[in-house]
Amino acid sequence: MPVLNSVYRHREFGDTLTSLAEYERAGGYLGLQDALAMTPDDALYAFHRSGLRGRGGAGFPMGRKASFLPKDTGKPTYIVVNADESEPGTFKDREIIEHNPFQLIEGITIAAHAVGCERAYIYIRGEYEHQAQVLDSAVEQAREAGRLGPDALGPGRPFDITVYRGAGAYICGEETALLESLEGKRGQPRLKPPFPAVAGLYGCPTLINNVETLAALPPIMHRGADWYAAMGNEKSPGTKLFSVSGHVMNPGNFEIVLGQTTLRELIYDLAGGLRPGREVKAVWPGGSSVPVIGVGSLDVPLDYEALNGVGTFLGSGGCIVMDDSGCIVRASWRLAQFYQHESCGKCTPCREGTGWLAKILGRMVHGEGRGEEDIRMLESLFGRISGRTLCPLADGAVMPVQSALNLFRDEFVRVAEHGSPRPVPMMEAPVG
Amino acid sequence: MTVHELDEFLAPLRPQYADPRSLILPALKHVQEETGWLPPDAMATVAEATGFSQAYVESIATFYDRLYVEPVGRRVINVCVTLSCMLRGSDEIFEHIADYLGLDGEGTTDDGMFTLHKVQCIGACDRAPCLQVDAGEQIGPLEPADATCLIDDLRDEPAPARYCR
Repeated sequence: MPVLNSVYRHREFGDTLTSLAEYERAGGYLGLQDALAMTPDDALYAFHRSGLRGRGGAGFPMGRKASFLPKDTGKPTYIVVNADESEPGTFKDREIIEHNPFQLIEGITIAAHAVGCERAYIYIRGEYEHQAQVLDSAVEQAREAGRLGPDALGPGRPFDITVYRGAGAYICGEETALLESLEGKRGQPRLKPPFPAVAGLYGCPTLINNVETLAALPPIMHRGADWYAAMGNEKSPGTKLFSVSGHVMNPGNFEIVLGQTTLRELIYDLAGGLRPGREVKAVWPGGSSVPVIGVGSLDVPLDYEALNGVGTFLGSGGCIVMDDSGCIVRASWRLAQFYQHESCGKCTPCREGTGWLAKILGRMVHGEGRGEEDIRMLESLFGRISGRTLCPLADGAVMPVQSALNLFRDEFVRVAEHGSPRPVPMMEAPVG
Repeated sequence: MTVHELDEFLAPLRPQYADPRSLILPALKHVQEETGWLPPDAMATVAEATGFSQAYVESIATFYDRLYVEPVGRRVINVCVTLSCMLRGSDEIFEHIADYLGLDGEGTTDDGMFTLHKVQCIGACDRAPCLQVDAGEQIGPLEPADATCLIDDLRDEPAPARYCR
C-alpha cells in the first residue's frame, strides 16, 4: 500500500504554508514559472496528458473540460473555483484551503494562463468563514507580491481572484446553481446545455473546477504531466484525498495513489480501524450521495472504475464508515433528512420526493412504520424521483437509500415492523 | 447601517463583478454582521444600495440558511446532525445543550443570549461530533460536558463587535 504525499505540498512539507514566503521556500510557484514558459495551448495539453480528473465528485477529465471553452468569443473568460464543499463526509478542500491556500491560488493562476482568463472567483461556502479569511489573507499577500494583479501572468497580462462567500446552501455546490448564486440569484440549478464552458458566469465561457483539482496543477506543471500520469492507473491517474469519518478511530484526510490502496486499507491502516470488537457494516465511500456498500466490498481498490465495479462511486472521496452497532435505516433516514432540507425546491420530484423519503424512513425508525407497505412505497418512490430533475441532488438522495434497501432488506423490513431503538453512539474522542 | 455606509463597503467590490446583482449577497452578509439578522429595514437598505427591489432582495435572503430573516440570539449555536456526526453522538450533544439552555429543541433562549440550531454537515466530520458558534471555526470532537463549558464561556463574553454568521 504505497502512501505518497506528493501532490499537496503542505503534506510533503509537513506543515501549514499560509505565508507566501514559506510557500515559496517549500517550492511554491515553480509550477507557474514552468507553465508561463509554455504557450497556453501547451499548458492545456499538459492538463490533458496528466489525466487529472475533476475531484469534486463527477470525475470528468479536467483537461477536456478546459478544452471545451470557446476562444475568441469577444467575451471575457472566467474561472470559478468550487469551494462550496458541502457533501456530507467531505472535508478535504477545507484542509487545502486552511493549510495550503497558495497552492490553490497558484493552480488557478496556471489555469488562467491556459484558458486566457483575467478574473477568477473562489466560491466558498458561508460556513467556511474561518477558511475564507485564510484565503483573503493569501490573496492579499499574492497581490502585494505581484503574483496577482496587473502583471500576474507576465508584463501586461493581468489576473486577479475574488473570494465570494456563500451563505449556507448545499445546492450551491452544483455548478450551475453556484453560478446562479454568484450572479446574485437564488441558487437553483440551470437546464444544461448550454454548459458553463460555453455560457457560464454572466453568459461567458467559464471553467469551473473543484479546489483539489486546481491545487493539483502546480506539481503537474513542475514535475511534468507524465510524472502525474504515471501514478495510479490508466483511467484513474494521480493521487486523491479521501476524508474518512464516522465509526473510525482516527478520522481525517488521507492522500492515496488511486488504484493502489483498498478500502479496507484506508479504513484499517490509515484511519485507525474500528473500536475493538466492532466490524464494518456499511460504507458510503464517496460522500453521502453514492450507493452504500457493505463488508463484502472492502477489498475494492480505490479508483473510479473499481468503485463503479462494486456499484458505487468515488465521488468526492468523503468516506463515511458505520460499524455493526449502527442501524442502516436510521442512517438512511438521517441522509434523507439532509436531502429534504437541501432540496432547492425547483423540481417537483425532488422537492416532494425527498420529503416523502424522509417521512417514511422517519416513521419506520420511530416504530410507526407500516411494514411491507412502507417498503413498497419506498420502492415506488425511487423511480419517480431519480432521473427526473435538472440536477443530480435528487439522484444523490435516492442512491444511498435504494442501495441500503437492496443490501439490508431484512433490516428494513424489521424496522418497518418494529422500529429501531437509538443506538449508543461512538462518543469517545479519537485516541492516537 | 445607512445606505451611504453600505455604498462605501460596496464601492471596491463593484468593479469585480460584471453585474451589480452579484453585490446583493455580499451586501446582505455585511448588513447582517452589524445587526445580527435581517429585519425589513435592512432589506430596504440593501435594495437601495444595490439598485434592486426589496422584494427581489428578500427572495435572495430567504434562500440561504445563514441569512436570518427572523431575530436570533446574541450567539447562534449550530450543532451538526448529519450522518458522520450522528454516528458519534451529535443527537446526544444537541439534546444536552438544549436541556442546559432550557429549550425544547431548536429555538432561542428567553434572555436572547442563544439560538440553538440543528444544521447540516459543516465540513468538519474529522471533528465529529462538532458544532459551530455563528460562522466560527468548527469545534470538536465534543463531549456533552465540553458543550456546556463552551456555553458558559460564551455567556461570559461580551457581544461580538460583528456578527459573522
